[in-house]
Amino acid sequence: MEYPEDGRDRRIAQLRKGILELAVMGVLYHGRHYGYSLIRVLSERGSIPLKEGTVYPILARLDRDGLVGSEWVESVQGPPRKYYVLTSSGRQLFDELSQELDALVSLVQQNWKTSDQPGSAAKKLVVRKG
Amino acid sequence: MNDYPPVVAKIANDYLERVKAYLRLVPARERDEFLKEIESHLYEAYHQTPVDDEVARILTVLRNFGDPAEVVAGRLPGTMMRSGAKRNLPLYVVGGIFIALFGIPLGFGGLSVLVGLLLALAGMVAAFYATAGAILFAGAMFTLFGLARILLPGLFDRLVELGFIQVGGPVGEFLDHFSPSDQGIFMLLAAAALVTIGLGMLWLGRYIFRGLRFLSGLLFDWTRRLAHRIRRKLGRESRGAPGRVGQVSFANGK
Repeated sequence: MEYPEDGRDRRIAQLRKGILELAVMGVLYHGRHYGYSLIRVLSERGSIPLKEGTVYPILARLDRDGLVGSEWVESVQGPPRKYYVLTSSGRQLFDELSQELDALVSLVQQNWKTSDQPGSAAKKLVVRKG
Repeated sequence: MNDYPPVVAKIANDYLERVKAYLRLVPARERDEFLKEIESHLYEAYHQTPVDDEVARILTVLRNFGDPAEVVAGRLPGTMMRSGAKRNLPLYVVGGIFIALFGIPLGFGGLSVLVGLLLALAGMVAAFYATAGAILFAGAMFTLFGLARILLPGLFDRLVELGFIQVGGPVGEFLDHFSPSDQGIFMLLAAAALVTIGLGMLWLGRYIFRGLRFLSGLLFDWTRRLAHRIRRKLGRESRGAPGRVGQVSFANGK
């Protein structure tokens, strides 16, 4: 089945955009990082092609929203590094978003053919919404 | 601040300038901090990237980092975000009419020069690859003729008699001193040299193409920044308050 190439790329980009913010929070959940070290962790643990520069606007947004704290630390060699750490509100939000993601992933991965009734999935969605 | 070689420093600084140009509507303090962070990243990535050639290394780092427009897309104020849903078609139509009415009388000279330069660059690339292709083709033909001269000397002589193959002048005289098989070997040597040159040109073409892409990016960026400066200058002159408009717009940009 054929579909527009740019439409597929745009959808993949949108999908990644939201998940990437959560992934960044996930890395910071487990430790303090500066941009480059955080990107290295993301690259090592994930197989998603990542433009490294796209992580910095995410960090800036999280910082602006008070979900991460940041401080500049002098480096032994080279320019200073900006370290980030997840704040308590950031941790709380990450927990909530992770649960939402789990629910969405299970929804996507559900085997629809084995559902009892055609409308069962829709019913589940309504229940979750409530 | 850093220990880049001069050429690497030039490339890195130019990249940062391009990012800075995109962020002109972001408050100065936030913009400087963002640039400082990118600078720190580039420095570290440059020293961690295992590529021998300095220029190739910084280009790899910048490629991995992403295009400036892509990098700043998530950093611009909300009102500056470009999204398909927010495109205002009537505004584009009005803009098109204004350009048609005023743009043509004012002249598209600058645009013509830019397009001309880009076409010239594209022409150079096309000519380069056409030359490489012709040399490779000549190499292939020499291989065929060389093999024919060694394996089927009768056929080769017949083709020469019919005029399909013409070897005259000093080259012909030189080859006449040798046996058909030696002549074939000479042709195969010439073919090997031509194929080597052709493949070498294709290999070099990679770098030429990369360099031209970089140059055209710079050209576009300089033109855009020049146009921006001229617009701002014209705006200041029309308002009669030099030096204050930029500051006010930055303050309001937040």
